[in-house]
Amino acid sequence: MKKFILNKDNKELNPTDEQIKRQKDFSRLHHDYEKLTKRSKRPLYKDPKLFMLLFILGLVLFLIFYEG
Amino acid sequence: MKRKPNSTTLSDSELVLLAKKKRSDFGLLYEKYFDQLFRFVYKKLGGIEETAGDITQLVFMKAMANIDKYEDRGFPFSSWLYRIAQNEVALFFRNAKKNYSVPIDENRISELALEADLGSKMSVEQQEELIEMLNGLEESHLEIIELRFFQALSFKEIAEIYNITEANAKMKVYRILEKIGKKWKGEK
Repeated sequence: MKKFILNKDNKELNPTDEQIKRQKDFSRLHHDYEKLTKRSKRPLYKDPKLFMLLFILGLVLFLIFYEG
Repeated sequence: MKRKPNSTTLSDSELVLLAKKKRSDFGLLYEKYFDQLFRFVYKKLGGIEETAGDITQLVFMKAMANIDKYEDRGFPFSSWLYRIAQNEVALFFRNAKKNYSVPIDENRISELALEADLGSKMSVEQQEELIEMLNGLEESHLEIIELRFFQALSFKEIAEIYNITEANAKMKVYRILEKIGKKWKGEK
């Protein structure tokens, strides 16, 4: 909630150049943006090595149950 | 040799196009508009530096993430940034758990009083009464008054933020001033 009041203490209402310089940081913004929009990891089925491993594992399990 | 793009030599449309193609080129728009956006947010918050910095970064983050949706309708790119900033600051105050006081300079209040035909000389008590009355205005009206008198934006700039004509912006401001005037005289 905000309320306007009269500036009785003559507080400076404009930021100084020093304050602006302190807050200006495009590399931080770019880093945050990259972090936010970074693509998720490649799904398992699109990874040939992992896909092969899962396939062999599945095949072994299938054969064990089939034989048993 | 290919020259590096520069925010001072390129138009807003060209800078937007570059940013749409390559996100890191959004830095040129950031470089061009950060200072004025930070000043705007800082004043709206009544001078809280860290929060103003965070909100300004958030405004640019949103703009960067949505730059593909941005359509050039002939208004300056800054009006889009101001619109995002208006919303972010309003959201900040809405969600804030404590009350914030935003100081307003005496000369800004005098200017408003003059425009609303409330008299050219006002005592400190009268100025405080007027501010109290402004605090009671509906949010959308107070926003316009704030832009015109406390942020000292021109009618053209206000029009660009609201996507309306300059004449319409002027009419809105004077209708609100008329309301303030009537209310003030009614209470006196």
